[in-house]
Amino acid sequence: MAPLLELRGVSKSFGGLSVIQGLDLTVAEGEIVSLIGPNGAGKTTVFNLVTGVYEPDEGTIRLAGEDVVGLPPHRIATMGAARTFQSIRLFLNMSVRENVMVAGYGRTRTRPWQAVLRTRGARAEEAAERELAEELLSFFGTRLAGFRLEQPAYSLSYANRRRLEIARAMATRPRVLLLDEPAAGMNPHETHEITELTARLRDEAGFTVVVIEHDMHVVEGVSDRVVALDHGTVIAEGSFEHVATHPAVVEAYLGKGAAATK
Amino acid sequence: MDFFIQQLVNGLTLGSLYALLALGYSIVYGVLGLLNFAQGEVYMVGAFIGFGVLSGLGGPASLAVPVPLALFLMFVAAALGSGALSVAIERIAFRPLRDASRIAPLITALGVSVFLQNAVLLLLGPDIRNYDASSFIPFTSGIHVGPLNISLIRIIVIVATVAVMLVLTLWVGRSKLGREMRAVAYDREGAQMIGVDVDRTIMIAFFVGGVLAGIAGVMAGLVFSRVFQLMGFVAGLKAFTGAVIGGIGSIPGAMLGGLLVGLAESFTAAYISSTFQNVIVFAVLVVMMIVRPTGLFGRPTLGKV
Amino acid sequence: MSIGSDRWVETAESRTEGPGGWWGRGKRRWQALSPLARLGILVAATALVPLLVSSDFLVRVGVNGMLLALLAVGLNVSVGWAGLLDLGFVAFYGFGAYTFALLSSDQLGLHLPTVLAVLIVILATGLLGLVLGLPSWRLSGDYLAIVTLFFSQIFLELTLNVDRLGIDLTGGPNGISGVDPFSFLGFELSSPTSYFYLLLVLVAVIVTILYLVDQSRTGRAWRALRDDPLAAEIMTVPIRRLKLMAFATGAAVAGLAGSVFASFQLGVYPLNFQIQFLIVIYAALILGGSGSLAGAVAGGIVVTLVLDLLRDPGQASAAFYGVIAVTLIAKVRPWRTLGAVVGATVALGLVVHAVVGAISPDAVAGEVEASGLFGSAIESWVVLPEDPTTIGNWAFCALVVGVVALTRVSARTRTILLVPLLYLAAFVWENRLVDEPSITRQLLLGVLLIVMMISRPHGLLGTPRVERV
Repeated sequence: MAPLLELRGVSKSFGGLSVIQGLDLTVAEGEIVSLIGPNGAGKTTVFNLVTGVYEPDEGTIRLAGEDVVGLPPHRIATMGAARTFQSIRLFLNMSVRENVMVAGYGRTRTRPWQAVLRTRGARAEEAAERELAEELLSFFGTRLAGFRLEQPAYSLSYANRRRLEIARAMATRPRVLLLDEPAAGMNPHETHEITELTARLRDEAGFTVVVIEHDMHVVEGVSDRVVALDHGTVIAEGSFEHVATHPAVVEAYLGKGAAATK
Repeated sequence: MDFFIQQLVNGLTLGSLYALLALGYSIVYGVLGLLNFAQGEVYMVGAFIGFGVLSGLGGPASLAVPVPLALFLMFVAAALGSGALSVAIERIAFRPLRDASRIAPLITALGVSVFLQNAVLLLLGPDIRNYDASSFIPFTSGIHVGPLNISLIRIIVIVATVAVMLVLTLWVGRSKLGREMRAVAYDREGAQMIGVDVDRTIMIAFFVGGVLAGIAGVMAGLVFSRVFQLMGFVAGLKAFTGAVIGGIGSIPGAMLGGLLVGLAESFTAAYISSTFQNVIVFAVLVVMMIVRPTGLFGRPTLGKV
Repeated sequence: MSIGSDRWVETAESRTEGPGGWWGRGKRRWQALSPLARLGILVAATALVPLLVSSDFLVRVGVNGMLLALLAVGLNVSVGWAGLLDLGFVAFYGFGAYTFALLSSDQLGLHLPTVLAVLIVILATGLLGLVLGLPSWRLSGDYLAIVTLFFSQIFLELTLNVDRLGIDLTGGPNGISGVDPFSFLGFELSSPTSYFYLLLVLVAVIVTILYLVDQSRTGRAWRALRDDPLAAEIMTVPIRRLKLMAFATGAAVAGLAGSVFASFQLGVYPLNFQIQFLIVIYAALILGGSGSLAGAVAGGIVVTLVLDLLRDPGQASAAFYGVIAVTLIAKVRPWRTLGAVVGATVALGLVVHAVVGAISPDAVAGEVEASGLFGSAIESWVVLPEDPTTIGNWAFCALVVGVVALTRVSARTRTILLVPLLYLAAFVWENRLVDEPSITRQLLLGVLLIVMMISRPHGLLGTPRVERV
């Protein structure tokens, strides 16, 4: 079966600094893959390349078999790749509900004139989107429900903002969900929730998930497969046990001395 | 051929004025990311200060002091006055908006520009001030190129501008202050954390911009013999054109861009049409911005996503 | 405990409260009404205005107010909703006006029926907006602002000078006169009152249309674009297309306003569309509240009232002292302090007047514009030199310095400083500003823009925004 997401020979440099070189990565449908590596390894850059923020200097990126290199980000998003950001990028002045609804733009079709004339199709679509938004937000319990729906996003706590970002990404109905450090800055209880949530995203909602994470507990709890990056290339790939004890990975995180003691 | 050289000189003179203003725009934009619309009005005020000093010394026809001294006083007064004005504007109108949206300071700058124009109009009236520079800076002395005589004033202007650019490039490139300015331009918070006094650095950037504008204002008065309240607006726009064409944030770029705009204006007026010179210059900018928004020397900035 | 339960949220209903008193209750009642009902009430109330007001002049002011409101609403789409700083907006207004003039006058010999002409104008201006919006693809905020500003300069220069190329299209500096008034079904609009009602209808219709668009996915996409363009694009929003739509929509509204203006004025002249007027439109939007339709309309009306009131010196003086009084009442508390400040200012004035009058009678021989009892009171309070210009200018400079100082000092010093400053303000007003209404208007607009952006960037009716740091 063809992989859902496939990067082959991808390279990217910024003004002489090579950030990604010769990267090969595949993600099969229904997998949860964790992307780990020390800071600066290029993990977020991979996400940026997949979602079209940057164009690779070399290599191909295929989403569900289709080449996405050179396409504008909004096209790639409608083709099925959605993401969250390492530093949260919500639409702060829009309400919780609107943040989620706006991500449905690529799926919906109401034209302005239809909205003005309040055609039956326009009203039906709007109602369906509102319902979908509430449904997605209910993934997180009652936290982002009730009166919170109309609150502006800037009034949310840090953890709720992360959750909202995930709900927003889900609203694009993606085939693959790219989560960039979803548990960053969370306490152990919240982190545990994120771990469970990630599994639910795959099991209940059917998303394929790629997670960038530093917290090894999350990685261990959630991944089908782990890919380790360092200096822009894959240094190890496989199950959590295999990668966590791989000498190259240990060296990347802890330095040469540590690898020797393993 | 003579005509061509004449236009070349005119263009370089005009371009020097624009270059000085463009430098001011570039430095402020480099440090703060702000387009200082009020720069044109600061230039206008500088020109008026120069005129005021000249009148105070007895006027062009009957100077109480020798000509070089008079010129020196005019330039110094205008430079300091405009510099102070620029700093005051920063303190009052822009500092409170350091962390606001990108649009807010631009609108405020518009407000400052309008206020200054009209304050000058209120205080000094709408009359155009003429000062006949030729009566105290002799036209007859100058450089002879064939049958052509290039006036001393224009030579002064061009030479002074080049000197200023050299000084600035060395200063910003080599000195501690210059490094601090570049640090603030790249990352304001980071610069603060390594001990750079951001407020002071920004204030100095505005001061320098003001000084340059003041000097350019006096020069404009000398070259065109006219000082009037609206001179800042269009000159400011054109100087900004130069700054952008050269690559905003880049000092050699601002210089080059300003000169190019001056030359373009001069040649367009002479060979194509003087009525439409502004239209053509602005149209060139528009095309330039679309084709290469970062300008000739500019660097596209990379943000972290 | 189940994941995701939030008792705080669940018990929210029982905790909600709001401001009390009649103001709070009135506000809640108002907000409980549907938007349509609110619009209906406002329209009905405004419709009564020409009936209650006797002077033609005031109805004209109303027409200007409605025009500015319409323009502010159009600008709001680009600036307030999509976050695109369009400094060339006044050129769309001018283009609409000129196009209508070309279609409805002897200039080209065309006298198209109103509805057809207006439709053509709207489409053409919208198309122009589309074209001018193309640079927005590649340019962000600052650059876009400048490019649009240049376009408006180009437009102005062209309309002024195209006739020199031998094409008598725009009438050069003299503009085009003899433009047809609007006529519907044979009924020609001739009086200001009829234009007032026409504009009232147009404003209501446009506001309704834009409100519905704002509530739809397009409006959401615009607002997302303003908050974070990159994130919006990654969340399926085609930002380039939406930027163009914003530009085109704003332009179309401006074009509509331009056509009404041209027919109301029965002519178009290049000087109508200079940057001074762009500042007025921005002031209206910023004051009213960028991002809010109600704000744009309110801003347009308020700014027009203020500017037109300034034409008549008597009314202007009343407005000037009135605004000062209102600001004092709003800002200086407790009442004791307010009373002390006012008393001290009056006393200071009387003392200064007496002293100066004793030293030199010429110094208080001038006259005030305001008439009647109020005028005489002012005359005996403010020092009015026979020749006020020079000293008035110095006083103006001192006033500017004083006002700036006011924002920097501590609260107690501020209260003390307020007294001489108020007297100085009255002095400057009576001696200089009243005599120069057009300059004073521009000064006020400039100050308004600066003060609003620093102290209340969201204007009167907008909502405060949080910017991504």
